[in-house]
Amino acid sequence: MEKRYWKGVEELNNTPEFTRLRDNEFFEHLPVDEVLNKKAASDSSTTRRDFLKFLGFSVAAASLAACDAPVKKAIPYVSKPEEITLGIPNYYASSYYDGTDYCSVLVKTREGRPIKIEGNDLSSITKGATNARVQGSVLSLYDSARLAHPLKGGQKSDWKTVDADITAKLTAASAAGKKIAIVASSNASPSAKKAIADFSAKYTTASLVTYDAVSYNGIVKGNEMSFGKAIVPSYSFDKAEVIVSFAADFLNNWISPIEFANQYGTGRKLRNGKKSMSRHIQVEATLSLAGSNADSRYKVKPSELSAAVATLYNKVAALAGGSSVSASANAFDKAADSVAKELWAAKGKALVVSGSNDPNEQVLVNAINSMLGSYGNTISLDSVCNLRSSNDAAVTELMQAMNAGQVGAVIFWNSNPVYSMPSMAEAIAKVGTKISLSDRNDETASKCDYVCPDHHYLESWGDVEPYTNRYSLMQPTIRPLFSTRQAAESLLKWAGVQVADYYTYVRANWEANVYPKQTGMTSFEAFWTKSLQDGVFTAAIPAASAVAFAGNVSDAASKLMKPSAGTDVMLYEKTGIGNGNQANNPWLQELPDPISKVCWDNYFAILPAYAEKLKVVQGNIIEVKVGNTAIKGPVFLQPAMADNTIAVAVGYGRTATGKAGNGVGFNAYPFMAMVNGSLSMVAANATVTKTVEDDHTLAATQTHHTMMGREIVKETTLSKWLKDSKAGNEQELIDSPYGKKKPEELDLWATPENPGFDRPNHSWGLGIDLNACIGCGSCVVACNAENNVPVVGKDEIGRAREMHWIRIDRYYSSDTTKENAGDKGLGKLSMYGEMEKPGADNPEVFFQPVMCQHCNHAPCETVCPVAATTHSSEGLNMMAYNRCVGTRYCANNCPYKVRRFNWFKYSDNDQFPYNMQDNLGKMVLNPDVVVRSRGVMEKCSMCVQRIQYGKLEAKKAGRRPGDGEIKTACAQACPTNAIVFGDFNDKNSEVSNLFKDPRSYHLLAELNVQPSVFYQTKVRNKS
Amino acid sequence: MSRYVYRYLTITLFALFLNVISLSQVVAQPDGGAIFKANCTSCHVVGDNKVVGPGLKNVHQRHSEEWLLKWIKNSSALIKSGDAEAVKIYEEYNKTAMPAFNLSDDEIKATLAYIKTEGEKAPAAAAPGTTDPNAAAGEGNQEDGSPTVLLLVTLGLIALYFILNSAKKGLERVVRQREGLPEPPVYKGKAWVREHKKLIAVVILFLAVVGSVKGWYALSGVGIQEGYAPDQPIKFSHALHVTQNKIDCRYCHSGAEKSKNANIPSPMVCMNCHKYVQEGPKYGTEEIAKIYKAVGWDKNKQVYTGKTQPIQWVRIHNLPDLAYFNHAQHVKVGKVECQTCHGEVEKMEVMKQASPLTMGWCINCHRETEVKMEGNDYYKELHEKLKKQHGPDAKLTVDKIGGLECARCHY
Repeated sequence: MEKRYWKGVEELNNTPEFTRLRDNEFFEHLPVDEVLNKKAASDSSTTRRDFLKFLGFSVAAASLAACDAPVKKAIPYVSKPEEITLGIPNYYASSYYDGTDYCSVLVKTREGRPIKIEGNDLSSITKGATNARVQGSVLSLYDSARLAHPLKGGQKSDWKTVDADITAKLTAASAAGKKIAIVASSNASPSAKKAIADFSAKYTTASLVTYDAVSYNGIVKGNEMSFGKAIVPSYSFDKAEVIVSFAADFLNNWISPIEFANQYGTGRKLRNGKKSMSRHIQVEATLSLAGSNADSRYKVKPSELSAAVATLYNKVAALAGGSSVSASANAFDKAADSVAKELWAAKGKALVVSGSNDPNEQVLVNAINSMLGSYGNTISLDSVCNLRSSNDAAVTELMQAMNAGQVGAVIFWNSNPVYSMPSMAEAIAKVGTKISLSDRNDETASKCDYVCPDHHYLESWGDVEPYTNRYSLMQPTIRPLFSTRQAAESLLKWAGVQVADYYTYVRANWEANVYPKQTGMTSFEAFWTKSLQDGVFTAAIPAASAVAFAGNVSDAASKLMKPSAGTDVMLYEKTGIGNGNQANNPWLQELPDPISKVCWDNYFAILPAYAEKLKVVQGNIIEVKVGNTAIKGPVFLQPAMADNTIAVAVGYGRTATGKAGNGVGFNAYPFMAMVNGSLSMVAANATVTKTVEDDHTLAATQTHHTMMGREIVKETTLSKWLKDSKAGNEQELIDSPYGKKKPEELDLWATPENPGFDRPNHSWGLGIDLNACIGCGSCVVACNAENNVPVVGKDEIGRAREMHWIRIDRYYSSDTTKENAGDKGLGKLSMYGEMEKPGADNPEVFFQPVMCQHCNHAPCETVCPVAATTHSSEGLNMMAYNRCVGTRYCANNCPYKVRRFNWFKYSDNDQFPYNMQDNLGKMVLNPDVVVRSRGVMEKCSMCVQRIQYGKLEAKKAGRRPGDGEIKTACAQACPTNAIVFGDFNDKNSEVSNLFKDPRSYHLLAELNVQPSVFYQTKVRNKS
Repeated sequence: MSRYVYRYLTITLFALFLNVISLSQVVAQPDGGAIFKANCTSCHVVGDNKVVGPGLKNVHQRHSEEWLLKWIKNSSALIKSGDAEAVKIYEEYNKTAMPAFNLSDDEIKATLAYIKTEGEKAPAAAAPGTTDPNAAAGEGNQEDGSPTVLLLVTLGLIALYFILNSAKKGLERVVRQREGLPEPPVYKGKAWVREHKKLIAVVILFLAVVGSVKGWYALSGVGIQEGYAPDQPIKFSHALHVTQNKIDCRYCHSGAEKSKNANIPSPMVCMNCHKYVQEGPKYGTEEIAKIYKAVGWDKNKQVYTGKTQPIQWVRIHNLPDLAYFNHAQHVKVGKVECQTCHGEVEKMEVMKQASPLTMGWCINCHRETEVKMEGNDYYKELHEKLKKQHGPDAKLTVDKIGGLECARCHY
């Protein structure tokens, strides 16, 4: 296994910039000369005497100030709530659902304020998993851009006034026979649906228009055409042995990404004697998160994706004995045959999905699944997924009605079409009364007559029914911070429904409609309390039945998108920002994109070879024009993309979301057009022109902290691993006076008399299964929240000063290896050259989370001049911030480059206008972790505060902490359970068992730093 | 002659003084009235009506003196012993126990005598709250005087020095004139400095050394608030509540066994008792009224008005943000007494910081304190290992289980 891995195009090309960054960890120019410049000094009006005076004064002032300790107040509750014990967190079960992601969560509160979101293990859907957006959502609660009161005509108003006004206007509109439209994102809440029904009962002209910025109309309509059911089915990726995805990024945002990531992880893990894993084939144009995890990946231009589905249909139909449909030639033609055979072999355990929003393509996908017997096995039409109910036809209809002046009032609920759908922005100007329920004065709200701000979900009561008969409750974990009101409650108020509050309404709805579905509990009170405590309630899940496919395949195939001859634009959603609804969340903006590692920006991603053709380089500003829509943006060179393809993320370019998100990137939504009645993520026949504008700098964490080309990711294939469980994990032997030895057998410190130091009590460690890690970044945001990691902004990221304690390294592989170089006729020199060349345009992708490895022979500890970083008897590498004097020797000596230096006091420097700067944002800080000051080094502590807390709980109860009782934030957040934390001293712990697996290895083991963190070889299911 | 007179007078006066003291010691009898006012009036009156506890008129007829002595000294013990009379009263008064009083038999007897005479004297019940709070506030503030006195004495001494010096100089001048000696040289400004270089050097050196040493200690004490006893918004006395009323620390500081914070009790906790105890022995109703104000308790109507106002205590124990301290670890697991760190709180009228709370102080304790491993299964295995490592009789102090490691307190 002599594969070469490279961190990016820069490394591959060995650009001067890369070399500079690689060679100097602290590469940025220090302004020493400028400061000591003689001219500058002589020009200064400050004389030496003045300087001494100032110095003396400062010293005196500082000493005086230090002598007088400030008086601190301790103000106890007047009446302490019974459930609160100061210093002990309370966890409340709730649900996150924003019209896109659904997640059952536990909210950690301290002294009444939510500070951290964790997954809820009791959920049968998300099973304790989370993603980056859910992890970051707690910060959106403390967003100072949220409205603190309702607005009328853009001015501050009060609820009484707006309610009276709105009720009058709605009544008038209804009486005049004009339409009232509620433009809302997909809504899976039974109580909210009931509220809308109540509203429509009062205002008979009212109707709900489900508008999702990123639409799933295609699947809904496709199922209607195939089975007569306009629904989204439920998928089981864990039951699928062969998964074929056509540009569906199901690990990132497709339908229910958190649930699917968890299922996918279950199918991929080789633990506890499991010897099989799913095979994942991705056919796509851009490099998506799902695609980067695939075993086999085929590149197809966006406009050819539909044709590729048709081709696969034909191949499967041939095997099943069905008739074929017309299919245009496409790049997938060659591979389709083998993929079809694989699927056919896994009949009943196969799953084909497509990310397209074209109903016709979805009909073909359904037909393939039907032939493969997926319905009833990996897909269930009986357990309906309510999370996506986009209705693009209704949106089109509404816009026509608006333009015709038939709409008297429109209410925007969790939708922002002025930003995401420019054509709608023009149409709403013709509506009489415009009301927004947005939590901030966003692009749409600022065009509305009334803004009635909604609660944040952590302040709300509510419920979600993500799947048929599977319920999830939302409960407030803090009193509303501002004078806001829950959106559904506003509707009820205007509908004149007499109800004390929304809580009463939800509860009554549960009593009437959910309580009858349960058995076992004799009182509603008990049922309600239990459901609230668990956060979830599952009634009888409908059994999946096999259904007969009744769609018209040839008709659907004839309406498919035709491959274009030119350049295609593909829109996608990024892991952090998604559709842009949390764009003002600095944690999510600063989360590096899993693939590009770029933060705080979107860009036109293109294949390097294509860039050469276009004669553009990274950072150039290009103008991409589709039809009449022209958008300018920077170029990013993205390997593994399809040729003639431009990928661009939506969700950026917000103008009215708040100071963190405004003006970050550019808005790509205008490219999204209605094609055959569906909002399409693909725009064909684009023209690209290079502009003369100055280059744009993209801040990426990618080329920093390189591992200098050493072997760090180990991989093998399933067949090899089945033969030899150590496959791919051959250990390097080191030359020594005693012959070739394993690194850990050689020890500078340990002698027979002194066999190293002892860890008598605990020996903490982390195991990271590279087979399960999907690179989603959930752990990164969880770590930010848990450990008060500051946000540094784009500029500082560009200077390699990001503060994330955990990073996910992404490596591409090259197909040229030492073994096959001979076959290719390459000499020794040209072999190395070839190994670095971007010759392979479809490299495999590897993710590797790297945090402090807590080395037992830590190189950082030995170089610290003040012993600020030392080792604990529990295997932790400790960092005492207040002892650190900031020499940064430790960071230089760290082979993993995981140490972070505080260049500024981020919590108190207005150059960093993020959450730590304002009093509201500070409420998210974890009170058990110090906010670091300027000039000190920091790094992953392995969540020592959680360890200490867990130990103390055990000690108080007089027992040992159980395995899994203590979890680091990253392990807790991981949707696939790739990160496992535990005690090596507990021989039965999961981490101990994992370590015994022959796949386990230490990163850079040859250095013999003996880390407490270990990795497990990645296994790909390919020949 | 006169010298003898003075000596005699002095001795006589001294003897008289001693006599007075000894006499006063012998003569002083417990003042039943004062004791009653100081301890009893918040719950009892000498009459028939109930306040918190029963009216005490004719209490000597209802109970034997022996029983009363037991009851007053420690009523809960008597109740526990199953004494029928005691249990009956306890039940009658909704299980509100009378606090224990640390009074001698004589004092109680004097108080009972006072109640007896007062009861016979006053057929009409004396209303509660008529007692003069000043009568009880006997001790007053002692700490005020000392710095002023010191200052005055110093000023006096300085003045004396100048007076004596000028007198001495005057006398010298007179002597010189009489003896015809030459005038001493008069130094002025620079000339004097030139003549006394060595002296000045020595003085400067001395001052520098003293200054550095003093400065070093002064600076190393910056931020250490040992002995810090700020004025609090309510003159709460731990001595009264802990020593006299025998309330356990954890009754109010309930977090100490559970959490990192011991908790300053919310005033509602105070109300558990002070709903009934409306008058204190020292400040009468004044300080207790502040609790009522905080929780919004209308004493007359016996209702909560809903108007609350949190009490802003001055925080005494301020650990820096960089240090993590957990009470539960020390109190519940380590079984450390509160007093180990907080000093003799039970004797403090005004709460003060008894320990320096420096890292050195923490570390010292961790070096000296043995871990309470017995009976805690968390330590079972570790204990066996450590016994093997350090010998069965070794003192297993906190530092031996990693109690000096940085990340135990800093993260």
